[in-house]
Amino acid sequence: MERGAKRVMRRKALDNVYLHKDFHGALSCGIDYLDSHFGEEAVRQYLHRFTRSFYAPLIREIERRGLPALRDHFERIYGIEGGEVAIEMTERELTLRVKACPAVTHMRRKGYKVARLFKETVNTVNGALCEGTGLKAELLAYDDDTGRSTQRFTREKR
Amino acid sequence: MIPCTDFIPAYSELFKTLEDLGGEEAVEDFWRTLSEEFLGNLRDHVERFGLEGCWEYWSHTLNEEAADFTMTLDLDEGIFRIDMHCCPSKRRLLECPHVEPYRAYCRHCDLLYRNILEALGYSYSIDLSRCDEARCSITVTEGAGSRSGEGL
Repeated sequence: MERGAKRVMRRKALDNVYLHKDFHGALSCGIDYLDSHFGEEAVRQYLHRFTRSFYAPLIREIERRGLPALRDHFERIYGIEGGEVAIEMTERELTLRVKACPAVTHMRRKGYKVARLFKETVNTVNGALCEGTGLKAELLAYDDDTGRSTQRFTREKR
Repeated sequence: MIPCTDFIPAYSELFKTLEDLGGEEAVEDFWRTLSEEFLGNLRDHVERFGLEGCWEYWSHTLNEEAADFTMTLDLDEGIFRIDMHCCPSKRRLLECPHVEPYRAYCRHCDLLYRNILEALGYSYSIDLSRCDEARCSITVTEGAGSRSGEGL
């Protein structure tokens, strides 16, 4: 671009890919604010409310298709973020082994504070996704430093 | 994980949650906190480069957000301006029929940036009169206390 006293940049939406990873830092800041001003339960209630509202179409899909719908969702979001994740699925169980959470990796790299309760973006969100669908979500392991985690989803016995 | 592509509805829901818990005051206090704790890079850019710092900061964020915009920097006139033809954040909320956006969602862009730029001596104005169409504009002008920056 020509450098002078006046510069103009014109962009259309299709000129770029929508991927602004700094948003993870803003979300972390929001979680931290809720935690420090209103307590842990407020964080969980917020993430639960967001998940049940925004992911309502996905939840309906999970109710209809079960584990494959969840698998497709995780393949999509970790694909977008470029996360290294191993996904295994059997008839009754879906397991995610995330080597490092792309959100946490980005925040560490940029020097953003990672909220004390950031793992609830996995734990609470997964639980809320499965609520009422006949699936159970478990966070078997989570490392606060890297976001490395093992997440398991199983069909509940009826 | 909540992917960054789903952040905007999460952000809107956060504002609603804060308002339920602590009223509008809590929402605005959070925006001030976010401005101070999270927008240090905007402050650093503008402190160092003056209005060219605005250009650098928004060149990065608006392109990553795939915004539809025209950005103008006129150093002779001492004006930096963003004409947002289609805000990607507001568009996402408007296109999500099952989600009700926070009633004053677009106001965060007023408070977040004003907090930083006015403290550095710049005049900041935002026109949100068409934000229901995902359109807005921001104008930053050099004031008596602002620095011209050291140039890029």
